[in-house]
Amino acid sequence: MPAGLGFSDDADRATLIRRLYFDLLGVPPTYEELERWKNSAEANWYEQLIDRLLESPAYGERWGRHWLDIAGYADSEGQTIQDAVRSWAWKYRDYVIRSLNANKPMNEFIVEQLAGDELAGPKVGEWTEQQIELLTATGYLTMAADGTGSGDNSPEARNKVIADTMKIVSSSLLGLSVGCAQCHDHRYDPISQRDYFAMRAVFEPALDWQQWRTPAGRQISLYTQADHAKAAEIEAEVKKIVEQRDAAQKVYMAEALDKELAKYEEPLRGELRVAYETVEKDRTDEQKSLLKKYPSVNITPGVLYQYLPKAAEELKKFAASIDELRAKKKPEEFLRAMTEVPDRIPDTFLFHRGEHQQPKQKVLPSDLSIAAAEGEVPLFAERDPNLPTSGRRLAYARWLTSGKHPLVARVLVNRIWLHHFGQAIVPTPSEFGKLGIAPTHPELLDWLADEFMRSGWDLKQLHRLVLTSTVWRQSSVADPSKVALDPDNIHYSRKSIQRLDAEILRDRMLASAGTLESTLFGPPVAIKADETGQVIVDGQQKRRSLYIQSRRTQPVAMLQSFDAPVMDVNCERRPVSTVATQSLILMNGEFTLHQAGLLADRVIRESQSLEPRSIEGLPKLPEPQAPEWTYGYGVWDPSLGRLQEYRELPHWTGTEWQGSAQRPDPSIGWVILNANGGHPGGKYAAVRKWRAPSDGRLKITGKLQHGSEGGDGVRGTVVSDRSGKLGEWIAFHNGSPTSIDLVEVRAGEGIDFVVDCQASENADSFEWKVKIEYIGSTNERIRDSVADFHGPVTADSFSRLPTQLEYAWRLVFSRPPSQEEMVEILQYASSQLSELQRDPRGVLSGSSPSKQVLVNFCHTLMNSNEFVYVD
Amino acid sequence: MTNFFNRRHFLAENAMGIGSIALTWLLQQERTGSKPKSIALEKPHNDLLPRKPHFEPRAKAMISLFQHGGPSHMDLTDPKPELTKYSGTDYKEEVTFSFVNEASKKLLGSPFRFSKHGECGMELSELLPHTSQVVDDLCLIRSMHTGANGHEVSIRYFHGGIPGILGRPTLGSWLTYALGSESQELPAYMVLTDPGGLPVDGVTNWSNGFMPAMFQGTVLRPKEPRILNLEAPPHMRGKIQEQNLAFLRKLNEEYLDRHPGEAELEARIASYELAAKMQTAAAEALDINKETAATHRLYGIDVPETREYGTRCLIARRLVERGVRFVQLFHNGQPWDNHSGIVSGLRSICGKTDKPAAALVQDLKQRGMLDSTIVHWGGEIGRLPVTQEHGSPEKAGRDHNGQGFSIWLAGGGFQGGTVYGKTDEFGHRAVENVVTPNDLQATLLHQFGLSHEELLFIHSGQEQQITNKRPARVVKEIVNV
Repeated sequence: MPAGLGFSDDADRATLIRRLYFDLLGVPPTYEELERWKNSAEANWYEQLIDRLLESPAYGERWGRHWLDIAGYADSEGQTIQDAVRSWAWKYRDYVIRSLNANKPMNEFIVEQLAGDELAGPKVGEWTEQQIELLTATGYLTMAADGTGSGDNSPEARNKVIADTMKIVSSSLLGLSVGCAQCHDHRYDPISQRDYFAMRAVFEPALDWQQWRTPAGRQISLYTQADHAKAAEIEAEVKKIVEQRDAAQKVYMAEALDKELAKYEEPLRGELRVAYETVEKDRTDEQKSLLKKYPSVNITPGVLYQYLPKAAEELKKFAASIDELRAKKKPEEFLRAMTEVPDRIPDTFLFHRGEHQQPKQKVLPSDLSIAAAEGEVPLFAERDPNLPTSGRRLAYARWLTSGKHPLVARVLVNRIWLHHFGQAIVPTPSEFGKLGIAPTHPELLDWLADEFMRSGWDLKQLHRLVLTSTVWRQSSVADPSKVALDPDNIHYSRKSIQRLDAEILRDRMLASAGTLESTLFGPPVAIKADETGQVIVDGQQKRRSLYIQSRRTQPVAMLQSFDAPVMDVNCERRPVSTVATQSLILMNGEFTLHQAGLLADRVIRESQSLEPRSIEGLPKLPEPQAPEWTYGYGVWDPSLGRLQEYRELPHWTGTEWQGSAQRPDPSIGWVILNANGGHPGGKYAAVRKWRAPSDGRLKITGKLQHGSEGGDGVRGTVVSDRSGKLGEWIAFHNGSPTSIDLVEVRAGEGIDFVVDCQASENADSFEWKVKIEYIGSTNERIRDSVADFHGPVTADSFSRLPTQLEYAWRLVFSRPPSQEEMVEILQYASSQLSELQRDPRGVLSGSSPSKQVLVNFCHTLMNSNEFVYVD
Repeated sequence: MTNFFNRRHFLAENAMGIGSIALTWLLQQERTGSKPKSIALEKPHNDLLPRKPHFEPRAKAMISLFQHGGPSHMDLTDPKPELTKYSGTDYKEEVTFSFVNEASKKLLGSPFRFSKHGECGMELSELLPHTSQVVDDLCLIRSMHTGANGHEVSIRYFHGGIPGILGRPTLGSWLTYALGSESQELPAYMVLTDPGGLPVDGVTNWSNGFMPAMFQGTVLRPKEPRILNLEAPPHMRGKIQEQNLAFLRKLNEEYLDRHPGEAELEARIASYELAAKMQTAAAEALDINKETAATHRLYGIDVPETREYGTRCLIARRLVERGVRFVQLFHNGQPWDNHSGIVSGLRSICGKTDKPAAALVQDLKQRGMLDSTIVHWGGEIGRLPVTQEHGSPEKAGRDHNGQGFSIWLAGGGFQGGTVYGKTDEFGHRAVENVVTPNDLQATLLHQFGLSHEELLFIHSGQEQQITNKRPARVVKEIVNV
């Protein structure tokens, strides 16, 4: 390292634990896990933790995703507008996860993916488990975009599939882009066109552009003989129903024709029938023009629904029973595999200018000439006499993993390094050639590659090697002087912070909310477009992001914005972008808001059993306020100018307040209050009460309305419980404005909107919508009796809030807040509570101020840099 | 440079003992200077930076009032005296019907009166009294032709360039891909949907197809939050959001204190500030209370019948004013699909749309924005001259017709007071100066200073054009030179 730079100290234990979890599993430690490892007294706790994590099934998901990037994994074919769904690609995804979890030596992993079919051998009887696994591995060679089965099966499209497959192989295993050599030799590029076509010759027996097989044509069915026999039985049943359906349709067609012809008189009717029933080619000109003149007679099965809608319904029932029958079949599963057609080995020709129309000399399969010294370039046999297939890919794969190939191991360890550090030794991991950037630490790269091969291509061992190194264990806390000397940290004098990958960010939210399922494998999670066209996950969001269907033309908006790849060919290295749209998605997107809500629910549930957090030294939270509006009944005594016997109505119907489930209630009578008005009782008046939260002045506007012609109307009175009557109005089959100008009120003073009957209790339904313009010291907002109307409100308590907030913090950050942080949290909560009590519109219906503060808090934490980065 | 960077070192002393092999190419330190790329073959870019068009543009923005369903041109924009004269008699020509059971060859003359308007004397129907007031600014094309009668086939032709093909980038995608965004704070391509629901073909009307998602139309929703992600849900706005952002900033600053000098962390703090700015800008753009009462009246916002469509037309103008490149308005379903009860059906949809559409042209003009803003009004098809039979005259309607129909354009260099093209004497087929959706796309791009042949997007190694290389011509006769 240059002068002034040196390794930093190890990061603290908690940081290392979190870092290891995200690095190896892509999920945070639970708080308990963190505490356990932090407090471990074992000298080798660190090594133990690495071993434990490497045993977790989540390891294969995390590191499998890295490999899927470079393999170009997608659940759709791409290439054409249709972007057809790839139904079985996920089996390859699962193979990758399984292989990594089993720590399959990487050389085997490579051989299986390049030539699993050649290892598997032919089918004898049924496919064996082992054969199925090997064939699944070759899914790697079927990842290139391939629209030949979905709209474009041109020679160009086929040759593009071959070129893209070669790009995936070369960029993932050789760290080279070979594409340029497809068309011609480059002055500086050591890969000649001859080289390119020699490599192509390795793959051409499987990808024969002249005897092309579409993706569907290459699929391997996993149906057994027994499955086929059972299915054939069901198809025989289906055939019978189809016959019945055809017969029924014939009858309906005749019926529709009769009905239509009935509109015409003879002899026209008869002429039309003859014309219609005559086969088209035998119709006379007269008949033809007759049918043109009366176009509605031209009934076809396709438009039968327009004539006899019922017939269409009936015919649909046949289709439904066919579907039902077919549903009884065992679903036929397939493998997306790369295979060769036995004994068919095409010659490979060099294409002049890369154009398939201009084949030149025949080229034999071999590796690139840059991969070995002159004269040592391995030439592969045109065919292996011991195999039914050509054996070219198997020979190629064995050479690549022989330990003699100069690039494969280096390319692999460079990628592993990249994922551990966020920066690679060769910064262009798929371009070790002249177009790439030179390695920053070539000896290190060589040594790692050597160690890796010596260990038997043991990937987990390589992880241990890297993770136990001083350089990985360093703190990421930067000394400003070091940052100034080496802003990009090329010299590794600290551990660089790493932004979470898109999938891991989403997984972390689910993990925090406690909803992340640990289920492995299976068909992809469906996606859909919402009503604006934005692509989102369909249905419940519980599975890890790598299981979300990845369609090339329909990237999930949230993942794409955080740089998840949208596969054109493959993803050599993800960019890490920071743009405002990401912040908008996290700030306002429904997904984050929903997860914050789920996290708050979890916090409330799980924190119940916790000891209350000490509030010593913490800012005080405001007192909960009773709701401003209450709904009750009482007796209005005009002589006293006071409301007597006020009580709240005890029963809530979901839309109205009243005396009990019974109407009228035996003792409270007909008293009802709803959003717009209500009904007074004979004994009691209906009373809507508003209590001033602070000193101030108010102005009231509104209208008392009585709609019925029956009865004798109602009386409305506004009464202050401090200063008495403020106004009085009668409404009988009319409306009366109820305005009160500027009145002084004191904190806690009640303003009652009292409605009582006149002489008769009949037909006294009223409407009284009121607005209170309240000019208080802290709380200016127009109160609206309709908009503010509410049902029962549980008395909110803020006493558990400090405990809940602290617990939420622990769940989100996997660490407890410091005392200083707790002070800030409580300051935030205090200001939120004041605001939410001042203006309850910030509280979602069904929530409470304390719950809302908790949700907002969780949401804010999920937006923070500490959440989005690993240090 | 330290010797860590020395490639010779890297290769010569590698631990695998390969030694100095034929890897001399790795020693090449030269980097080929990247040669200037032609615009046409430029790698697909992934940003909305403003870009220069191919040549001097006439238009900077466009508002498209899409009229789903097939407005009946012979009742609105294309008077046919012969059709009136022979109303009730059998039509002699071949007709393709979509609803065969109600098919009839009886001609149906328009019950609506046409008269000449403006200095140009353009003839429009009594159903369009307000549009009639702005005819001197309109370029009416009476010879549109999709060749197909079905809705979806023609809709996709207009939006994506190929009849019937779903999943291609739409006109708005191509424009924003080519020209980027003038606004740092608002999306470049916005879609104003109907509160009643989505149009036929749903969200694919504003699809980005094979282009990156940023070229998809952003929907201004009829409900809160109006722009997904750009606006907080109502309960998290105002003071509450300010407090949340202030707390977030505090958390982020403390984290930055622990990692001083990390530029990425600083950038992420700044990105929240920009996001908040964008949020404010969106709210401001949508607030039509900032407009005068006179403007509200002009768009018919004071009247229930025109309030909704008028509000969206006014918002469209406010968006364009703030740098939005392409705005498209849609209806719920297809209100112009008058298979039955065409007389009452047309009165109703014209009553809703005529005044706001005309107001938009007038308002843009009085603000000096019409010169650089194209307004487009039109559907995907028109209707047949024969009746669709329902047993009684008041129930009569018209079936689909993609053989000939009308649309109009205003502003952005299109010649006002112009009628272009003709249908036959019954309004069935376009017979003179036929214009296809591909011709229209080429012409619209031309007004934006773009050549439809040079505006390419490379998808899966193939050059894509909006017209998919189908025949298309710029209709120079209708634009100011």
